[in-house]
Amino acid sequence: MTSISKAFGSSQALWDVSIELFGGSVHALMGENGAGKSTLMKILAGVHQPDSGEIHKDGARVSFANPKDALDAGISTVFQELSLLPNLTISENMFLGREPVTRLGTVDYAKMNAETRRALQELGLTLDPSSLVSELSIAERQFVEIAHGIKADASVFILDEPTAALNAADVEVLNRHIRRLRDAGKAIVYISHRMDEIFEICDTVTVLKDGQVIGTEDIADLSPDRLIAMMVGRELEDLFPNRSENLGERLLEVTDFQIAAGSRPFSLAVHRGEIVALAGLEGQGQQKFLRALIGLFHPVAGHVAIRGRQLPLPANEANGIRRLRSYGAAFVPEDRKEEGLFLGLSISHNIAMALHSKVSELQPARSFSGKVHDTMASMNVKAASPNAPVTSLSGGNQQKVLLGRYLAANMDLLLIEEPTRGVDIGAKSEIYKLLRDFADEGGAVLVLSRETIELIGLSDRIYVIHGNTVVSNMQAKDATEHKILDAALGA
Amino acid sequence: MKPAEASERLKTSFGSLLSGRNSRQGRWFLALIILFLIAGLLSVYTEQFLSTGNLLNLIAQAMPLIITAIGMMVVVLVGGLDLSVGSVISFTTAILALGAPAYISIPGVFVLAALIGLTNGLVVTRLNVHPIIATLAMQFIILGFARILRPVSGGDIPDIVIASVNGAFLGVPLPVFWGIFTFVIAWKLIHGSRFGLHLFAIGGGRASGAEDAAHNFGVADKRNVLLAYVTCSCFAALAGVFLAGRIVSGDPNVGLNFELDAITAVAIGGTQLSGGVGSLHGTIIGALVMALLANGMNLANISPFVQTAIKGGILLLVVGLQSRKKMGL
Amino acid sequence: MAAMLNNSLFARLSRIPPAYFVFVALLLVLWIARPHMLNTNIMGIFIRQVVPLGILVLGQLLVMRVNSIDLSGGSVIILVNYLISSSFFHDASLVTYFVLAVASGVGIGLINGYMVGIRRVSAVIATLAMNIIVIGAVEFLASGKPPGAVPKFLNEIYNSKLWTIPTPIVFWIVLSLMMWVLLKRFVFGRNVMSVGENPTAARFSGVPVERTVILAHALAGLMAGIAAFVQTSSLVMGSVRIGLDLPILAVAATILGGVVFGKGEGGVWGPFFGVLSFALLFVVMTTFNIDEPGKLVAQGAIILLAAIFYGLKTAGSK
Repeated sequence: MTSISKAFGSSQALWDVSIELFGGSVHALMGENGAGKSTLMKILAGVHQPDSGEIHKDGARVSFANPKDALDAGISTVFQELSLLPNLTISENMFLGREPVTRLGTVDYAKMNAETRRALQELGLTLDPSSLVSELSIAERQFVEIAHGIKADASVFILDEPTAALNAADVEVLNRHIRRLRDAGKAIVYISHRMDEIFEICDTVTVLKDGQVIGTEDIADLSPDRLIAMMVGRELEDLFPNRSENLGERLLEVTDFQIAAGSRPFSLAVHRGEIVALAGLEGQGQQKFLRALIGLFHPVAGHVAIRGRQLPLPANEANGIRRLRSYGAAFVPEDRKEEGLFLGLSISHNIAMALHSKVSELQPARSFSGKVHDTMASMNVKAASPNAPVTSLSGGNQQKVLLGRYLAANMDLLLIEEPTRGVDIGAKSEIYKLLRDFADEGGAVLVLSRETIELIGLSDRIYVIHGNTVVSNMQAKDATEHKILDAALGA
Repeated sequence: MKPAEASERLKTSFGSLLSGRNSRQGRWFLALIILFLIAGLLSVYTEQFLSTGNLLNLIAQAMPLIITAIGMMVVVLVGGLDLSVGSVISFTTAILALGAPAYISIPGVFVLAALIGLTNGLVVTRLNVHPIIATLAMQFIILGFARILRPVSGGDIPDIVIASVNGAFLGVPLPVFWGIFTFVIAWKLIHGSRFGLHLFAIGGGRASGAEDAAHNFGVADKRNVLLAYVTCSCFAALAGVFLAGRIVSGDPNVGLNFELDAITAVAIGGTQLSGGVGSLHGTIIGALVMALLANGMNLANISPFVQTAIKGGILLLVVGLQSRKKMGL
Repeated sequence: MAAMLNNSLFARLSRIPPAYFVFVALLLVLWIARPHMLNTNIMGIFIRQVVPLGILVLGQLLVMRVNSIDLSGGSVIILVNYLISSSFFHDASLVTYFVLAVASGVGIGLINGYMVGIRRVSAVIATLAMNIIVIGAVEFLASGKPPGAVPKFLNEIYNSKLWTIPTPIVFWIVLSLMMWVLLKRFVFGRNVMSVGENPTAARFSGVPVERTVILAHALAGLMAGIAAFVQTSSLVMGSVRIGLDLPILAVAATILGGVVFGKGEGGVWGPFFGVLSFALLFVVMTTFNIDEPGKLVAQGAIILLAAIFYGLKTAGSK
């Protein structure tokens, strides 16, 4: 792929990116969330079309109008968020879009099931090909997705975070298959956030940052620290503000909280002046716990007290946010485009809405223009005016507007999912500082993120969550990615 | 399907069969039980109910709704809705009553229906209009045309249409053959083809909030959705032909509220209105439940106005019982 | 360069609700073809005719802005019509009749709101079902026949004028102003805007999403009740067949006025002119002798074209 560029609306996802893939080699693609890895791979897989640039395969120029073109050209993909269709069976999912038919024109289920069974067996799975995907566990679905991606007779394989939901044993199974493919002379692109996996099975690594290639190196020439430095782009110490030493009273206290039936109950606490992180592999219960506090998830049992007042559980979805707010706590959702912002509405509407909604709908709406102005100034939101629609802002400024909404509401406790998803490094650093200032002024922050490095740098204390429970509680200044992973997987 | 696999599918426990939770076919079994309950009640209530004559008459009565509901279900499977089917039915009877020779008017109504469906589908898939608004507008346009052609009921229906609905073959009334014909075509379309599977795939993706899921698998989603609307309109036209033969005239009001009855039948049969879950047999059962209810209410001398109201209540009930994430339209 | 210019011109034009263009176009047609029709008296009569539609639209624009729809307005009109003109509430006072109308509307609106907001039933299906339930019940009570005479004093008010403007039109303008203030100056307006733009984000901003949807439906019911009151006042005899096409016309006028599902660019006045456009359309169709079926086709085509206009616009901005 040479000189690939791609923009979505006003945000440039890729700038002039070139990479080369070789048969018989595993090529890692690394970078923080939003660095452009997934976009690049979606272009290669035909999901998106590049604005400019060319793709050559075996010397010939190719272009893909849709995923099927790419598949026909021998490029096979396991997408990070390829959603299997829950209402179809495993074999139907495996063959969707290219089902074999019998002489009568009906779908040839016998053939599909037989081939699916074989493909699953190669991955060491004994699932019934005719069972519905909705009945499978998350790890099983992940394997079906992998089977879907690698069963095709392709020469290039893209694996986009295939291990996010897998445990160590499953990862080993997967690695075996990757090596087998490599030895068969296939070119493999491997995207993962887990350092140890990269060093174990990859041959080459390309680091992307903010849509640009930082460098391509042999894995043998790299150390993990060097790789992180390439991804982050500067030394970590500069990115994060200093930690604080002044702990205040206990603000949030969680006792005997049980997320799912059979999981071990846990307790945790957050104090004023403190930023506490929930770390661990993805989907281990961190988000369920946070969302249980606003009624989007129903836990089995547990007590939650904020400033000593009991928060009744389970909360209900319709008014969970509003009740949490009456306890002085705000919730910042992870997906700013889908869950957080009113993209088509003005900055001032986005910020002031949390203030408006504090009073009855039958009261006159106050203007809050001073408050909006102050918030935009203190957060350094770069925009033409408070009336500009949020869509027109960059990702970093959008994130600041989202955060600003909750900071402007004068809360004691912030629950934040993914504070800096898809945000450039400058805005990241600003957001970290804003959160630290909030804590220094007596607030408390409970944060979760997929980026462990961010959690270590930002927080004072880290709870490692695995299997729907807290498995470790460590001081952030002593924590490393390795320690957190060990704590999670050792549990 | 191999016999071994078929028997494996039949092994599902009674409870999950009833709730339809782990099935793509939805809650059809519950509808079947309700059907038998109503039939049981009716046979206790009136002696003639179980007579062959009454049952055959019932099939003929239910046939237009069965046919329309099957078409509606095809659109519902992809998470859409077609509110224009009632008008298409009226329009079809109006065209047939024009007095044109059968070899022109019968293919003609299907061509016109296909064009209506095509327009619906194009407006929905290419012009980005909500299916409900698109088909609601179409309902008005087609109803207008039907009333221009035939302001009041009347006209001459081709003899072959009348004969095909009212006659008998080998002692079996012809509506039974209509039923078999429709069933075979619909089964092939919905449960026995790639098209059918793709409908489930598109709807399943939409229902789970992943609008593009099927597209990402390389399914031609826009084209299939478009074809779903064409199919729906053509089934409505088929129902219109049948009805024209039954009432032996063209009537611009005969299709009134048919779209609501069809939606009710589809929903009773266990099809999820958000898409991706449903079955042909469920829809037929749902339409039969509606027909039995109408039959029962007639037997009980309930005013037609109240019958309409009750049908509305049933619609509200069955749709209200389906859970949905999305709020609004 | 030329393409870009055209593009930005199109973008700017597409922000103006189509109702204004249609209104001007129809006015021109009338002015050229039937200039004698354009006087205050005749226009007053035609505009007075669409006042029930105009009031119904005030509710429709509200529910459409929270991504919902209300197609049950016809049933409210028939119910109120029946209640006022039948012998049930014979010789009651103006206030009683008004309260009766408002209560019927709000009641049906609240049920709609519950079905849509809490049960999360598709709004089209819920309100259409509600529509046939109420209509079926009323027709049963009336045995399908006209129920009786409308009290005379209602008719007198309907035919009166304030200054030179018919009272119903003044009433409509006052109601529109109130709705405009509610949406523009009250927290409820912000909530409606937020829920329409993104219900999840609204929830995360602390907006009571369900309550907003229910309230919107209740207000739409209220407007339907008032519209029904005005509609009934316009009649000498009650009828159970009147106003059945009003809800769908209301949807059309609202879309024409630049309010589509979740977006409220046209505000209150866009749909206001949408209704006025329909008033002119009726004049044009009457003067050109287009009868009822032709009107159905024209209405359907207008809905479709307005919806396509917005469909293309949103597709373009994606």
